[in-house]
Amino acid sequence: MNREGFVPPTQSNLAAAAAGVSSFKNYGIKYVCASCAVPFTLGKNEPVRCKECGHRILYKARTRRMVQFEAR
Amino acid sequence: MADLKQDPPALAPESDEEEDLDHDKITLLPGSSQDGTAASFQILDEDHTLGNPLRYLIMKNPQVEFCGYSIPHPSEQKLHLRIQTFGSISAVDALYKGLDDLIDLCNHVEQKFTQKVSNNDYSIVEP
Amino acid sequence: MEVEDPNLVKIEHDHVSNVYSTDLPGVDGTSDFAWNLDTFKKNFDIRIHYLTDRSANFDLINIDTSIANAFRRIMIAEVPCVAVENIYIFNNTSVIQDEVLAQRIGLIPLKVDPDALSWIDNTVDEKDRFTDENTIVLTLDVSCTRNPHPPKNVTDPKVLYKNSSVYARDLKFEPQGKQIEKFKDNPIAPCDPDILIAKLRPGQEISLRAHCILGIGSDHAKFSPVATASYRLLPVIKILKPIVLDEAKKFQKCFPSGVIGIDSKGEAYVKDPRKDTVSREVLRHDEFKDKVKLGRNRQYFIFNIESTDAMPPEEIFFKSVRILKTKAEYLRNCPVS
Repeated sequence: MNREGFVPPTQSNLAAAAAGVSSFKNYGIKYVCASCAVPFTLGKNEPVRCKECGHRILYKARTRRMVQFEAR
Repeated sequence: MADLKQDPPALAPESDEEEDLDHDKITLLPGSSQDGTAASFQILDEDHTLGNPLRYLIMKNPQVEFCGYSIPHPSEQKLHLRIQTFGSISAVDALYKGLDDLIDLCNHVEQKFTQKVSNNDYSIVEP
Repeated sequence: MEVEDPNLVKIEHDHVSNVYSTDLPGVDGTSDFAWNLDTFKKNFDIRIHYLTDRSANFDLINIDTSIANAFRRIMIAEVPCVAVENIYIFNNTSVIQDEVLAQRIGLIPLKVDPDALSWIDNTVDEKDRFTDENTIVLTLDVSCTRNPHPPKNVTDPKVLYKNSSVYARDLKFEPQGKQIEKFKDNPIAPCDPDILIAKLRPGQEISLRAHCILGIGSDHAKFSPVATASYRLLPVIKILKPIVLDEAKKFQKCFPSGVIGIDSKGEAYVKDPRKDTVSREVLRHDEFKDKVKLGRNRQYFIFNIESTDAMPPEEIFFKSVRILKTKAEYLRNCPVS
């Protein structure tokens, strides 16, 4: 299961986490543009803008994790 | 071998049947008379659907002095049925007669409905 | 004066009377009302008025309320039917919440023969509980996209986008195991393909699987095979004194159209009491007060059944009779302990 790049702090990266520096690359989070509906990933220091149209309102994409419901 | 086949354990079929029977479905409640002509029954997992027709058919029996049913609590799936007879039959017999009459009635309704549907003398469009 | 019909429920301007069944032994010393199957067979009658794919209208005549009501109750709450029970959502980015979506899908009537499925055994381990014998799988996979070349000046979302509305018809049957063979001739689909499930905008997606099982209406209304199953008693209108000419026309207007006719001599007569609603309007007019009597026949049930289309209405009634019989038979075989 992909938990969207979240890595719980461990002994080895705790110091980096405390210092606010990530030691991981590819820290992308999936977004969907509110205007043109294009899905894309955005890194930590990238500007909050759609990569296609430049729109600045973005939605976080929902995980494709299965959830069960009773139809009642 | 042939002998063994012919000699099934005498109790086996009976005990099989015993297992299939639902002992909790109908129980005798306190308050019955010594001679069994008046009794209250508790029936599990039944409601007005069975209670009311059964009450009506038991009341149709001339030997029955009184019959009534109740659902003591709406959130418990229990039906209470009281039968009192004039003395010529027992309450259990009155209950069984009521059930038999209900089965007969259903059979006739079923047969009549099937016959009427197959008659094809009705409209097949909604007016 | 003629003997009053004991089965007539009298309806007066401010009250009803004679409402209870009195066809019991001991109530009336003169006649024996003991249960007799032959008498019942002689008196009982069924008249079918219409029988369509989805609705039925028929009369049960000379039967007691307790039994007619049992049939009605069974049709609503105890005739088994198939409906969606579990929903597994993989993705739902529409504006409608997961649990609301699940509930909506659950209420969609499905065209599945209930006899084709067996009951779920809740004592079986959850892993092995659902098989191709007792479960039907439907899938819903839709995502909304922009129409690449929409006509100018159009604002209609149906033209601008693809899949902007999700309908019941988008639920697709996914046969499991032997089900391909079993449901070859009558593929499983919603009874009404045009039920709107959700609305989408570009980029939104619904992806889910639905498991359908057998159930009964008393557990949840989605399992009920009928939209409505009801009965009413036949209205009785008795004209005591002749009503003629202009008065007849006014009298006619007190009832729904078709109830009262006027013959060639200008006299009012009861044409079709079935159409009456027993509004009692006629009793508000002093001139008619003593000329008419209203009532209902306690032993004449006009049934109206509307099926959800999972099975034909006549089958629903037939099954209700069977179920009542099975209940009685089961109880008959139980020991009194």
